[in-house]
Amino acid sequence: MNVMVRLVYRNLRANLDKGSLFFELIFPLFFIFIQGAAVAGIVPPFDIGNGRVISYSLFLAAGAVTLTVINGGTNAGTQLWFDRRHGMFEQILMGPFTRAQYIFSIIITTLIIGMAASILVFVFALPVLSGISITLQASLLTGLALFLGTIFFGAFAITLSVALKSSEAFQIISTVAFFIFLFTSSVFFPVDRAPGYIQAVSLLNPLTYTTDIFRAGLFDATTPILPLEITALSIEAAIMFTVAVAAFRRIKV
Amino acid sequence: MDIIAVESLSKHYGDKKAVDDVGFTVSKGEVFGFLGPNGAGKTTTIKVLTTLVRATSGNVRVLGHDLRKEAKQIRNKIGVVQQQESYDQNISVEGGLDLYGFLWDVPKQKRAERVEILLKQFGLYEARKTPSLDLSIGQRRRLQVAREFMHDMDLLFLDEPTVGLDSLARRATLDFLKEKVKNGLTIFFTTHILEEAEYLCNRIAVINNGKIVTTDTPQNLKRKFGQSKSVDFKLLEGTSPELVKLIERIDDVNKIVQDVSDGAYHATTAKPEVVIPMLYQLAARLNLHITSIYIAEPTLEDAFISILQEDKS
Repeated sequence: MNVMVRLVYRNLRANLDKGSLFFELIFPLFFIFIQGAAVAGIVPPFDIGNGRVISYSLFLAAGAVTLTVINGGTNAGTQLWFDRRHGMFEQILMGPFTRAQYIFSIIITTLIIGMAASILVFVFALPVLSGISITLQASLLTGLALFLGTIFFGAFAITLSVALKSSEAFQIISTVAFFIFLFTSSVFFPVDRAPGYIQAVSLLNPLTYTTDIFRAGLFDATTPILPLEITALSIEAAIMFTVAVAAFRRIKV
Repeated sequence: MDIIAVESLSKHYGDKKAVDDVGFTVSKGEVFGFLGPNGAGKTTTIKVLTTLVRATSGNVRVLGHDLRKEAKQIRNKIGVVQQQESYDQNISVEGGLDLYGFLWDVPKQKRAERVEILLKQFGLYEARKTPSLDLSIGQRRRLQVAREFMHDMDLLFLDEPTVGLDSLARRATLDFLKEKVKNGLTIFFTTHILEEAEYLCNRIAVINNGKIVTTDTPQNLKRKFGQSKSVDFKLLEGTSPELVKLIERIDDVNKIVQDVSDGAYHATTAKPEVVIPMLYQLAARLNLHITSIYIAEPTLEDAFISILQEDKS
């Protein structure tokens, strides 16, 4: 059997525990079914671009799906962290595998987890999202958003787990980063109506682009800046991926 | 053909010479012990030989493959039990064994057979459903050693594999390894428990401060570096300073000490056959009664300590 298939299967079995899976799914569902439903009563439907006017429930449901890419991404760092902490990193590298194969297997595993979790959340959110039509363009844009977002956040988490020495530091820094990414993005609110300083930060935030591209695809709300957003997210994902690979190569065993 | 052939191997970390110009060979079917104090360079050598870290210099061939150019071919044919623990925390014992076999592309049927055998062989059958994280240190260690036998290999590196094991488990593990050696496996073995090295190894290299000090069979090391034999005896009366004074005058006795824990005397000598009759004569003269007496052979530990002390001096 192919080396990558074996490694990815091992990563999935070794690193997926029911507790974290449950958390990854339940967390966005709280936003969709509780916060979205509650806040929709005080926020009137609004235009998200291309003349598309949607309710806050729909707006947040889309954001909650992209939120799962952060969770999925964090999973990559956690995998690497536990493999290093429990000696499996060295053990695998002394087996019939290369460093490159190992790191790519982590990325692929993260993509699988991130995409699968997003799709699951999307499926759970269908009652809220009823009425949307899944076109080829919608599928491509939403898929692209989730793919690039997972690559960025997976690479980010891998870099963190290499750079930080203790599990406590990794947990704290990744949680703080998680909140910064979350609250300076367009997951919870349209950033173009937020104060200037939030808009400025959001322009650097890959979760903003991930969410905007996802929403544009899902609600057919493409705007003239969509190609720019795709380009920006692609560049950020590519840079972060390069940084992660460089950091990974420096791990001392 | 040598399974391992090392020439002038060095590994430096900055200014520190972890391994400094070492050379040795290991033959097929041999258990090669690699002994040394903490920080001597044992684990670094294993990391180099298993392709985990790059050597600074030197020529190394493992299983006929060049270490620098054919690392992957080497890794396909070796097994490694690291000094540090390694396990997948969420997976059960039998799941971990099976998954490791899967990683090595072992067919499903063969994996199932090996899991059954290894669970029983390493005393893990009762704990087979337990996640690795919940195992005791000894159980995890047994799992780590057992796991390596899920796949086929020509050469096995064992870096202190019995740390944390009780005596029974340790002996069972060593006997299992002996059986594998009989079937053609070659083992590169490090340990701090010298009885183990003596029990298992055909040859032993002693490394200190990154350099190999000596390489020989355990018997030859004991002969060359072990202290003289010791005549150990106990008195019914417990202690007798008068007897000690008389024994100290015997030319063939190097020194005599009393063990405070059990009261036994240890008289170091190269000629126990001469000393023992004299001991009985002296004891009778002082009206003392020897209740037990035996000749203690020099141990590998004695030899090991002598080697390190000589190297230090």
